[in-house]
Amino acid sequence: MLKEKMSFREGYRGRTIYKIFSFVFFAVLTVAMIIPIWKVLVDSFNNMTTYGITLFPEKPSVAAYKMIFTQSSLLQPFLISIYTTVAGTAVGLLLCTTGAFVLKEKELPGRRLLSFFLLFTMIFEGGIVPSFLVMKQLKMLNTYWAIILPLAMNVYNLILMRNFFENIPESLFESAELDGASPIRVFISIVLPLSAAALASIGLFYAVSFWSNYTSFALYISDASMHNFQIKLRTLILDENALAAAGSLGISSKSVQNAAIIVAILPFAFLYPFLQKYFVTGINMGAVKE
Amino acid sequence: MTQMPAIKPNPHYRKSALRDRMWKYRYHYLLFIPVLVVTFLFYYLPIGGIRFSFFRYTPFSPPSWVGWANFERLLFQRPAFWTAFNNTLILSLSNLALSMICSVVLSLLLNEVSTRWVKRSLQTVVYLPHFLSWVVVAAIFTIILAPGNNPATSGLINAYLLKWGIVQKPIYFLADSKWWTPVYLFISRWKETGWGTVIFLATLTSISPDLYEAAQIDGAGRWRQMLNVTLPALANTFVVVLILNLSKVMNLFESVLVLQNARVERATEVIQTYVYHTALTAQSAEYGYPTAVGLFRSLISSVLVISCNFASKKINGRGIL
Repeated sequence: MLKEKMSFREGYRGRTIYKIFSFVFFAVLTVAMIIPIWKVLVDSFNNMTTYGITLFPEKPSVAAYKMIFTQSSLLQPFLISIYTTVAGTAVGLLLCTTGAFVLKEKELPGRRLLSFFLLFTMIFEGGIVPSFLVMKQLKMLNTYWAIILPLAMNVYNLILMRNFFENIPESLFESAELDGASPIRVFISIVLPLSAAALASIGLFYAVSFWSNYTSFALYISDASMHNFQIKLRTLILDENALAAAGSLGISSKSVQNAAIIVAILPFAFLYPFLQKYFVTGINMGAVKE
Repeated sequence: MTQMPAIKPNPHYRKSALRDRMWKYRYHYLLFIPVLVVTFLFYYLPIGGIRFSFFRYTPFSPPSWVGWANFERLLFQRPAFWTAFNNTLILSLSNLALSMICSVVLSLLLNEVSTRWVKRSLQTVVYLPHFLSWVVVAAIFTIILAPGNNPATSGLINAYLLKWGIVQKPIYFLADSKWWTPVYLFISRWKETGWGTVIFLATLTSISPDLYEAAQIDGAGRWRQMLNVTLPALANTFVVVLILNLSKVMNLFESVLVLQNARVERATEVIQTYVYHTALTAQSAEYGYPTAVGLFRSLISSVLVISCNFASKKINGRGIL
């Protein structure tokens, strides 16, 4: 009896120690995750030339943001980012829904061949230089086609979409076919409206990849006036002289660097609740079926 | 009435049936054309471009055939290639090992958090950096880790190190080849560990509570429950994730590219950045040799993907492709 009580006690103490450990661990982790972003956010509102250990704004000012959204050399890359993200997501969803709609058709003659045609690109690729040379031959260097088209054709997203389409009850298609609807009609008025969740989820995959795109711009766009915000941000961070204009306006170039980071995060700060939900959905969609 | 096609076997039966079936799906083929064209242009044409690995080819001169010379160069004459090759393996594999360990440990700890809203908030916090681009993450850490002569001019980390007297001179975290690799690995974990737990947490929540109950009845404490119920349930997912990531070992590119700088370029160059630099940014840019390097990488990558796919089918019953 006594022994039992003791062991219960010990278990209880073990549990308490674990709880304290867990609390400390997650507290440290949360600080480590948040501090870097917090520091950048604070300094972006802080119009000072040196920062060091400031964790709250001392000279609050939105001058840096004003500069980003008024100076055309900073505003234009931002607009280009928005443009390529919207256009890229639209083209990406178009390619991946049409492709998925075709590949979900189990009886389609040549289905395996078409699937393999796409899957092979995940096994073997030409590489950076041949891709660059192809862009050059297609006269797509320094055009947004080079940014949008290759990224829009994403086999992984297409397969996720197909998995989703395969879960739509077959009876819906059959009744539409009996009514004499063409496949294109079925696609537009049955498949797409039923796939809102998948469209949102894969649309967000695309939006994140286009907004974050750095490499395609670095490879295919040499014209600086066509660069997106990611490229601009990296230039600003590497070379403070790129911000000579800030000094003459009485704005700390460091605060502009920080503000540029926040602006690059901004769209996703708004979307984050959806991102989290739909990205998890997307991952599970991939895990559920072959 | 001499012919009775319904009874006589038609020799062309199969063929015409195929044609009928294809005709039935004509709109489907039509819808597939854009996908075919884009895939062909941007994935298959570059595969054809591999032929340039057998040419001498620069931006200023037309390609001329040189046989295996580019491959001889990369294998025997360019130590920079082998440095890049080793760096790729070292960075990728240590990153993979750390990511597996950190994600599993974090998901086990998260799974033990019993208050729902606390767990939700913690997930929100640790998932966040996954959605930031590598450029943004690199920019944040370039600023946080910046060196300076006194606390006021340094980034946050060096400022504290100097202020507390832990170091006398600032540490050049990203501009010192000794520090670059551990810092890179840390930043990768900061960005991706949280997201890595998603799939493990999904597995953990799918474990039947009956198993834990049965273990409790058998007198297992929390520690034994974790050892005998939780970990075996995670094993399968662990192997799947490991295989999936193993197939991507050679893909290392953007994360390194945006954290590199001229002072550590030699020590941090991986194959993809080496190709990028020799082909597009070097003083004496050329296309033939880096194509050969890229082909070397693609081949290793293909072998990895195919064997990982095979392993996944063996272990898990479904491939990764």
